[in-house]
Amino acid sequence: MSQPDAIDMPRIDYLLHEPARLRLLALLSVVKRIDFTYLLKLSGLSRGNLSVQMTRLSDAEMISINKSFRGNRPRTVYQLTAKGTRALRAYKRNMTAILKALPD
Amino acid sequence: MLRNLGKLEKSVYRTYWNDGLIDLLAAIGVLAVGLLWVWERPVFAAIVPPLLVPLWGPCRRRLIEPRLGMIEFSDDRDRRSRQSLRLVFFLGVGCLVMAVGMYLARDALAVGRDIDFIAGLPAFLLAIMAALTGLLIASTRFMAYALVLVLAGVTGAYAAWSPGQIIVAAGLVMLFSSVVILTRFFRSNPEMAGSTE
Repeated sequence: MSQPDAIDMPRIDYLLHEPARLRLLALLSVVKRIDFTYLLKLSGLSRGNLSVQMTRLSDAEMISINKSFRGNRPRTVYQLTAKGTRALRAYKRNMTAILKALPD
Repeated sequence: MLRNLGKLEKSVYRTYWNDGLIDLLAAIGVLAVGLLWVWERPVFAAIVPPLLVPLWGPCRRRLIEPRLGMIEFSDDRDRRSRQSLRLVFFLGVGCLVMAVGMYLARDALAVGRDIDFIAGLPAFLLAIMAALTGLLIASTRFMAYALVLVLAGVTGAYAAWSPGQIIVAAGLVMLFSSVVILTRFFRSNPEMAGSTE
C-alpha cells in the first residue's frame, strides 16, 4: 500500500507561534518605538519573561534593541525590523489560510 | 508596519492618555479661564491655552515617563494627532474669543428672558472643546467633562451665576477628577529605576 502524499499546508513560524512573542510582535507592529517599561505594562508579562522573549526575537533579528541612558537611568528601546514585519505578515497570511480551511 | 491592526493601535494609543496629566492641565486651564472671568479679565482667557499646551511635554517627560515608560507612535498617527491638536487648539482659542465677545455684548443679545443662558455660553463652548479633545484622544473622560461643563452652564444659568462662577464650578469638578486619576496612576505605577531589563 502506497503512503498518501503530504498535504501542502502553509508553514507556521514557531518563533512567532508562541503567544507571548506573538503578543509582543503585534504590539511592536503598531508603534514606531517603545521602551522596556511601557512594553512591560502593555504586555502584562513579567520582567524576566519579557526580557527572555525580547532577546529571542532580537536573536532572530525580528526586532532591534537600542540601549542608552537618559540622565542616569538606563533605557532599552525596541523596534520591529523589516524582517520582523515580513515575518508577522507571513504568519498572519498563513494562519488565516489554515483557519479558513477548517470546517465550521 | 502592519496596516490591519487599527483596533490594537487605538487601544495602545488610549493607554497613552490614561495617566491623568492631560486631565489636570485641562482642569487648570478651565479654572484659570473661570477665575480670570471672576476677576473681570475675561479677555486674558484667550492666552490660557497657549500657556498650558507647551507645559504638557516637559510634565509628561518628568512625571509620567519615569513610571510608564516611553512610546513613539507611527508617523501617520503623529501627523493625525498634530493636525487634530492644531484644530482643537485654534477652535479652543476661537471658542474663548467668541464667548468673551458674546459676554461683552450680552446686553445687546438679551431678549428679556428670566434665564440668562448667555452666562452659560462660555461653559457650553468649553464643553465643545472638551468633547473634541475626547474624540482626539479617544477618552470618554473628556466626554464626561463636556457633560459637566454643560450641566454647570445650565445650572448656573438657572441659578443666575456669573460665567466665571459657572466655569470655576466645572473646573473644580475636573480638578478633583484629575487629581484622583493622577494619584491612582502614581500609586499603581511607582517610578522605575530604569527602563531596561
